[in-house]
Amino acid sequence: MATEAAMPESVLLRWVRTEGMAEIEQYRRAGGYDAARRVATELTPDQVIEMVAASGLRGKGGAGFPTAQKWKFIPKAAPVKYVVVNGDEGEPGTFKDRTLIEGCPHLLVEGILIAAVTIGARKVYIYLRREFYRGRLLLDAAIAQARAAGFVGERIFGSDHAVEIVVHPGAGAYIAGEETALLESLEGRRAMPRQRPPFPAVAGLYQQPTLVQNVETLCHLPVIIGLGPERYKELGPPVLFSVSGAVVRPGVYEAPLGVTLRSLIFDHAGGMRPGRRFKAAFPGGVSSVFLTEADLDVKMDPDSLRQAGTMLGSAAVIVVDDSADMVEVMARAVEFYRDESCGKCTPCREGTAWIAQVFERILHGRGRSEDLALLEGIAGGMTGTCFCPLGESVPPGLVASLRLFRDEYERRIAAGATDGR
Amino acid sequence: MAAEAPRTAVTLMIDGRGITVPKGTTVYQAARSAGVDIPIFCYHDRMPPLGACRMCLVEVQKMSKLQTACTLEASEGMVVSTTSPAVRAAQESMLELLLINHPLDCPICDKGGECPLQDQAFRYGPGRSRFIEAKRDHAKPLSLGPVLALDRERCILCWRCVRFGEIIAGDDALKGFERGFASEVGTPRALPVESKFIGNTIAICPVGALTSRTYRFRARPWDIDPVASTCTYCGVGCSVWLDVRGGEILRTRAREEPEVNDAWLCDLGFFGHGYVAAGDRLTTPLVRREGRLQEASWDEALDLVAERLRASAERGPGRVAFLGGRRLSNEDASAAAGFFRDVVGTPHLDHRVDAPPDGASLGVSWGLRSSLEDLGRGDVFVLVGCDITEEYPVLWLRIKAAIDRGASLVIVHAKRLEIRRHARRELLDRHDRLAPLVAALAADETVASGERVHVLLGRLAMDGPDGPNLLRSADSLVRRVNGTLHIARGRGNDFGAQRFGLLPGEGGMAAPGILQGAAAGAFDLLYVAGSDPATAVTDGAAWESARSGVGFLVVHEAFLSETAQAADVVLPALVLPEKDGTVTNLEGRTLALRAAVKGPGQARADREIFDLLAARMGVVRGHDTATRIEPVARIEPAAAGAGASPSLIVVVADRLFTQGSMAGRCRGLIELAGTAHCLIHPADAARAGVTDLGLVEMVTEHASVVVQARVSDVTLPGQVLVHRGYDGVPVHALARWSPAPAGVEVRPVAPPGGETP
Ligand SMILES: Cc1cc2nc3c(=O)[nH]c(=O)nc-3n(C[C@H](O)[C@H](O)[C@H](O)COP(=O)(O)O)c2cc1C
Ligand code: SF4
Ligand code: SF4
Ligand code: SF4
Ligand code: FES
Repeated sequence: MATEAAMPESVLLRWVRTEGMAEIEQYRRAGGYDAARRVATELTPDQVIEMVAASGLRGKGGAGFPTAQKWKFIPKAAPVKYVVVNGDEGEPGTFKDRTLIEGCPHLLVEGILIAAVTIGARKVYIYLRREFYRGRLLLDAAIAQARAAGFVGERIFGSDHAVEIVVHPGAGAYIAGEETALLESLEGRRAMPRQRPPFPAVAGLYQQPTLVQNVETLCHLPVIIGLGPERYKELGPPVLFSVSGAVVRPGVYEAPLGVTLRSLIFDHAGGMRPGRRFKAAFPGGVSSVFLTEADLDVKMDPDSLRQAGTMLGSAAVIVVDDSADMVEVMARAVEFYRDESCGKCTPCREGTAWIAQVFERILHGRGRSEDLALLEGIAGGMTGTCFCPLGESVPPGLVASLRLFRDEYERRIAAGATDGR
Repeated sequence: MAAEAPRTAVTLMIDGRGITVPKGTTVYQAARSAGVDIPIFCYHDRMPPLGACRMCLVEVQKMSKLQTACTLEASEGMVVSTTSPAVRAAQESMLELLLINHPLDCPICDKGGECPLQDQAFRYGPGRSRFIEAKRDHAKPLSLGPVLALDRERCILCWRCVRFGEIIAGDDALKGFERGFASEVGTPRALPVESKFIGNTIAICPVGALTSRTYRFRARPWDIDPVASTCTYCGVGCSVWLDVRGGEILRTRAREEPEVNDAWLCDLGFFGHGYVAAGDRLTTPLVRREGRLQEASWDEALDLVAERLRASAERGPGRVAFLGGRRLSNEDASAAAGFFRDVVGTPHLDHRVDAPPDGASLGVSWGLRSSLEDLGRGDVFVLVGCDITEEYPVLWLRIKAAIDRGASLVIVHAKRLEIRRHARRELLDRHDRLAPLVAALAADETVASGERVHVLLGRLAMDGPDGPNLLRSADSLVRRVNGTLHIARGRGNDFGAQRFGLLPGEGGMAAPGILQGAAAGAFDLLYVAGSDPATAVTDGAAWESARSGVGFLVVHEAFLSETAQAADVVLPALVLPEKDGTVTNLEGRTLALRAAVKGPGQARADREIFDLLAARMGVVRGHDTATRIEPVARIEPAAAGAGASPSLIVVVADRLFTQGSMAGRCRGLIELAGTAHCLIHPADAARAGVTDLGLVEMVTEHASVVVQARVSDVTLPGQVLVHRGYDGVPVHALARWSPAPAGVEVRPVAPPGGETP
């Protein structure tokens, strides 16, 4: 981990990069659980919500919804409420949640306690990606330590609050990261998204008000309460970027919201691999439309990226260099969606499979000139017709690639035609 | 000037027309109410919308994306287009996508001609496909059980069949497997599919993916004449269409009747018409000559019966008895009652052939004490010895719907019912120890706080050793909670037989008394119609001695049943789907029967036979309508049975699918019935050295039968469960009528020549 250049003032990664943070003594010596204690014993829920609102915290799971606003949607008077932690982290190129859980599971536990006490939930489920075997062991141990310390269970921190935390491993479906599909899965059914409204905040797990929150989002909470929202904002506000692909040092980087793509790649991740040129980058996982060289100075924040026709998503920056063929890159992305489509709705289930078939033909030298129009046509049929964002993520990137890298498609098709097939 | 709309109504525009609907209505429903067609696949109006197929997309002003009409709630001032270019393009896309992998099976597909996919493709499809890849290729069809086949290539994954099992039947019979493009429907457990309602999934499948194995490739919809009639198996009286071609019923479908079966049937009804066309129907009268039943003319047979009846009358009144009624129409029952009471002059008639003398069944009239609809509005249901899915399947769907709306289910039984996971409480004990459980229910919070408590007392409770006690306990329970006690007893048209007078008249004997009387020589002639007492009487020996004690036995039958085989005269009878008339269901509702097909040979309707006999006896009768005779409703339980309790008892239970005379002649149902077996609890099995699927000998004081054992905790310790209605397991031979539970010994039988491992 020493190879990674943590920002001098890193506020989140500080917890992760310090050795021994999986142990509660170490975590407490560094000030851990002080924020949760204050929330449980000193602050009113409204005060906490005010602080979170002032921090500007937005969800880190992909949708970027303002966190405090989501908390306000939870009906105060409801007798039973849940917090569900989205630890499914399935978006390709995203590995910040895993880094947080494995580096400092107590940070997540503390964030959970803050959220649960504030909205008045007594039961918390952590829906954890099945492949996080190590993370699961560390989380289980951290929860046990916190329980022994009186921070989890009845009367936490000596207050009247009770919070139970249950870790629930998923079964390896990307769609189970979508919050309503996650709730279906948690209830024991096939992970397929639910119709919204009602939103989970009103009728979520077992039809009770439920706060679904990403792991990283929750990990910001102790920092916000600890530093105060003003200082937190001054220090960034911080975001964890998962940088992967053709860079010298792939990894998780903390950088202020609005850092440029160029700075992330060249200052933080050590630049492009020797002898290679930047070609494109997905700023928010494969679900986001890729950026090209002309966009290197775009600011990595939700608004700037929206203007650039893409999104921050889960802040997973996947960097593609000039050795990669964009047709192959897109084919790989489409295969992912084909494999991960839940199968609920027609356009995504059938469209992704069809597009993947067309790509396969093109890649195997059997492309036809009319295939590009066909791909655009299928994408058009999927646009705005899918049930959930998974299927809706396919057309924009595909259409952009057909526009920006059309020559690469055409070369492929032409090469196939002269292959003598 | 427009009338002021109530606050609970909203007005929206669909395709330029103003439509006012109650708040909460979806755009799809609003459009439909105004006659605007929006194509659908996944939506089914008996289930909440899912929004999966995306076929119903519409354009709504001020909404950036197209919306699914089936999920979108209509709101005030909404402006909707179902025909805009964007909508048309989306409809074409959805159909193109659904069809890329759909096989070109239309020419041979059962659904062809009544297929929503065909219809929508015709109306809204693109007319051509840009798909040049290889279509999905699956082995076809997949057999999911004796009655159900799945063609995965045809499936458009609308999820209706899966959700039917989750939402309507509650049996989770079908589930989705794999993901995305590879998704397919399958069974969550091993094959065959486990459901009593699977026919409905065939009915609601919008394509030919789920088909009936008994109907596959047998007809095209345009060749079929549907006849509106009523299912007469269990007594719920579901409305059906009998689809007829060339004088044969090829298929049964549910006919919508919100007050009875809504839109559903159980599989007994769905697959239960095959017996009508069975090859062994009786076609001519049979008369015993030289000890053998031989074909005779109607005149010969009727003259003989009339002569015997007259001869008996000369010896004195009341020397003739009548048994049966379950398989008669109301009109037949009324004709029979009139004939025996007025023409023959006997009070000894009873349809309750399967009731034992000591239980509670003879002391109380059978059926519900409220309408099915009222029952469906209950907030607490207590099933006492009532195995609802085995006995009144479609009634369960109503209770399930009530449970989903918040009602509670309490089960008191001697068996773990398949619906137990829907129950709030399950009170189990051995068959002879159920009464205290019911008594204790008065203290149950759920039951006590119920506002509309419905207690269903079933056959297992009523006819058991503790029947009278259970009836008393259940009766006092409903009095305390101001609930309703239903007597869930009777099948077929037992309720019509009861209503139209097939009950003992003044001084008449009930069925067990008739049998005992016959054995003692009290009758010259025993007359049976609409029943097979040789298998139905729960004490087989009582029937045997009745038969030998009576000089002359006349039977109306469609088949050469065990009773018919022992008769002196057998008159070939039409079955209910061959008759016009009515039946009465368990709530007392009159339901119409329409003759779907002609009967075989010279078979006649029962009432016609009675009229012909009456004429021969000098009385001309006409029965255009059935005359109702008020049954005597009283709750006078007999004294409770006492006696020592054996350590292992045998309990006879009802099952939906049996090898009975009707179901046993229907393709599909025979396989669903499977083979006879007994259920023995693991603890008892271990003690007796019985292994699962091994053969065992069940030995009682009176008989022994060899049957396959299933070791299962569906039954309880100390009790072996066997089902009625299987050939080779004459359960009625195992025990005698007795107020005490019947003890049994179970021994493993070594396979012939085999070593025990
Ligand atoms: C296809 C799909 C996959 C998703 N996967 C994840 C995931 O793995 N982890 C996550 O936190 N959010 C994921 N989300 C976003 C969640 O639906 C939800 O917005 C998020 O958990 C809310 O938490 P937040 O407000 O803290 O971001 C996914 C969304 C979609 C549409
Ligand atoms: S868009 Fe894809 S993932 Fe989302 S519901 Fe439809 S099939 Fe499932
Ligand atoms: S089998 Fe029929 S009902 Fe079931 S999902 Fe497929 S198309 Fe729908
Ligand atoms: S529930 Fe009864 S009446 Fe209805 S279809 Fe089944 S057997 Fe026939
Ligand atoms: S009918 Fe509306 S989405 Fe299927």
